[in-house]
Amino acid sequence: MPRLMGVDIPNDKQIQYSLTYLYGIGLHSAREVCEKLEIDPARAASDIHEDELGRIAALLERDYTVEGPLRRQLAQNVGRLRDIRSYRGMRHRNGLPVRGQRTKTNARTRKGPRKTVAGKKGVKDLR
Amino acid sequence: MSRSSKKGPFVDPKLFFKVQKQAETGRSEPIKTWARGCTIVPEFVSVVFMVHDGRKHVKVAVTEDMVGHKLGEFAPTRTFKGHSGKGKK
Repeated sequence: MPRLMGVDIPNDKQIQYSLTYLYGIGLHSAREVCEKLEIDPARAASDIHEDELGRIAALLERDYTVEGPLRRQLAQNVGRLRDIRSYRGMRHRNGLPVRGQRTKTNARTRKGPRKTVAGKKGVKDLR
Repeated sequence: MSRSSKKGPFVDPKLFFKVQKQAETGRSEPIKTWARGCTIVPEFVSVVFMVHDGRKHVKVAVTEDMVGHKLGEFAPTRTFKGHSGKGKK
């Protein structure tokens, strides 16, 4: 199995899809990479040559932010918002939605599993 | 070019004038303001504002990182002390 950018091992899929196993590479940028290097995106990742892999790695290194550096960048962006005590930073800190969504209901992705409170009004009463 | 970038950032003219006056005279005391929607521009760095939160004025010391944000982002309008229940009196 080919290795790219350190630990990531895409598999026996077409190269365009296996590139998306890299953090920061979606289908769009995967196809972009293939196009730039004139590699048929439908070729299996297993028969991508060593030197082609090298070229992919070099291109990713140069023009894309992926994996560790990308994660670090995201964490930094959030960290900056936190440090300056902005509203968005506070929302990140409190684990609540950042972009003004409602929190009376929903928002479960940010808030995590429901914490049932005994004696709280039911749905009927809410209305 | 989007409409918003054509229009440029909103900076409260009165507030900007006050900041400039302070920069000229060299005196610096907190500037009270209600202009929460005013964008923080580089000239505001190291100025201290008192931004209205609907009830009182919250002290906001502008740092370089805050440029591009709005003053109101640093003066929360809601006080949430947590829900009642166990662990609370």
